[in-house]
Amino acid sequence: MEFFETIVNSLCNNLIGGNAWLVLLNGLWVTLLISASGLLLGTIIGAILCAMRISDVGFLRTLSKIIIAFLRGSPVLLLLMVFYYVVFANSRIDAVYIAIIAFALNNGAHIAEIMRSALSAVDKKQLEAARMLGFSKFRAFLAITLPQAGRIAKPVYQNATINLIQWTSVVGYVTITDLTRTVNNIGARTGDPFFALFLGILLYLCLSYFVNFLFSIGSRKKEVL
Amino acid sequence: MIQAVNLCKSFGNLEVFKDLNININRGECVAVIGPSGTGKSVFFRTLAMLEKPDSGQVYINGTDITGKDVNINKVREKLGMVYQGFHLFSHLNVMDNITLAPLKVKKMNKSDAQKKAMELLTMVGLTDKSLSYPHQLSGGQQQRVAIARSLAMDPDIILFDEPTSALDPSMTGEVLAIIRKLARSGLTMMISTHEMSFAQDVASRVIYMDEKGIYEQGTADQIFKNPTREKTRMFIRKLKVFSYSINSRGFDMVEMNVQIELFCQKYNIEPKKVNYIQLVLEELILEVYGDSSINLQLKIDFTIEFSEERNEILISFVYDGRSFNPFEAAEESEHLGMVLIYGVSKNYGYSFENGLNTININI
Ligand SMILES: Nc1ncnc2c1ncn2[C@@H]1O[C@H](COP(=O)(O)OP(=O)(O)OP(=O)(O)O)[C@@H](O)[C@H]1O
Ligand SMILES: [Mg+2]
Repeated sequence: MEFFETIVNSLCNNLIGGNAWLVLLNGLWVTLLISASGLLLGTIIGAILCAMRISDVGFLRTLSKIIIAFLRGSPVLLLLMVFYYVVFANSRIDAVYIAIIAFALNNGAHIAEIMRSALSAVDKKQLEAARMLGFSKFRAFLAITLPQAGRIAKPVYQNATINLIQWTSVVGYVTITDLTRTVNNIGARTGDPFFALFLGILLYLCLSYFVNFLFSIGSRKKEVL
Repeated sequence: MIQAVNLCKSFGNLEVFKDLNININRGECVAVIGPSGTGKSVFFRTLAMLEKPDSGQVYINGTDITGKDVNINKVREKLGMVYQGFHLFSHLNVMDNITLAPLKVKKMNKSDAQKKAMELLTMVGLTDKSLSYPHQLSGGQQQRVAIARSLAMDPDIILFDEPTSALDPSMTGEVLAIIRKLARSGLTMMISTHEMSFAQDVASRVIYMDEKGIYEQGTADQIFKNPTREKTRMFIRKLKVFSYSINSRGFDMVEMNVQIELFCQKYNIEPKKVNYIQLVLEELILEVYGDSSINLQLKIDFTIEFSEERNEILISFVYDGRSFNPFEAAEESEHLGMVLIYGVSKNYGYSFENGLNTININI
């Protein structure tokens, strides 16, 4: 009984007191915003880098190779700090946008590599078979290579997404109040950090499950390959 | 229908074929045969512009398709290809594999495309597999679907590039039966194959590729029963040939025997026959050099032809100098060596022409 009461007390202290749940919701929103935008932009950047990486133009190939190596090689937190304290130091851009750019770039480099390895794993002769049926190069790519590469890339992409969400927990370093920062604040305020931090972990876990759920929707229909 | 004029193709230093000319008429079924690596696949791929020819033209129904302003996609709608490795679209089921191009390229409506696909599946005997995915099918079934996929575009001609080479022997029959049916129905086709009896049976014309081009061509009977040129003959009869030259009496007979031995081992010729071959050759050489009136610098060339198909060995033994028939000579006086030769050979013959003596012996 006493244990139960402690939990209820903690819950009230942490969530109800001072409208903490609104703050928490706001933190969650920021985390989601950075993750989703980072993913979306990162995918676009990844597609561009990947297209450059496999193009026939030697210069573009080298350029994208260098960019990818640089972005993948540097820790995302350092990248974020460079953007915040150096590149955009004198601009008025909101820190959240800066974070989105940093995560999009880092994530884009990873996605470019995911895309490239998926594309190279697709049977090229199938593309040729489509061309022999009268498909143009581009339409054969859309009809044959892309869906197959997508299927190969999916589990890796899913992992990258979950990784991205977890890595956004470092944005507190550049003054952004995301989910991690919020639970930390709540814990500090109530003097009961265990509960708040644990709640944070639980929320990140839920996000992961949510991502997995989203990814499983597509494959539920067709259980092949 | 489809015509190649002075077609040349090389990869870097490797010249695959040059000045290749061919004209295929509507309704013909042309089999392309030849040893591995002579460029049958490259030839087909070049006809379909999957490889760019170095020079020369390909005409389909009179239009040159090598030009830059040609819409090759349009051309390929009427030009089917069936591959050794099937290459079905692995993310689509059988029905979608067949209807994809009719729907997206020909803009056929869905129910017509599916109806047509069902007819084709009936033709290849796979109606119950229309919802299966390629990986759920056997190789033979996949190839039959690939044929149906190709036929769905109503091509004027189909190129079959070794359609059964990747199949288990137990499955080649089902695929060949369909190709045979198509040939009988008058579809224009080219087929490269290692299935000689099939080619002989189904082809209206047979092309033997070797030496960077079309080495010999003719009707199936001409090529398979009476090939006129050396390499064709060797290929058709599955001949393995060993040649050796001797320039003087002082040649190294041990070395010669070792080489013969190695050749015979490579093709699993029975040891008994190996002995006979060596015996016959030694005796012939002795006879020829033993004839005192003969020049010591006499040149001897001999070949050993081994036909795997018939398990037969033919020795042709050629030497210059004056006409000298050891078989006649042996009749005059008792020659033990010649008696041995009579003993082991199935038949033998001698001729003298243009200053060359030729002895043929079958073992
Ligand atoms: N893309 C390529 N680049 C370089 N060389 C090639 C290429 N494609 C084929 N070749 C070479 O061209 C030659 C002819 O090959 P091809 O595949 O046409 O032979 P083939 O007659 O079809 O033999 P097989 O009966 O084994 O299929 C071979 O020596 C091969 O190595
Ligand atoms: Mg080949």
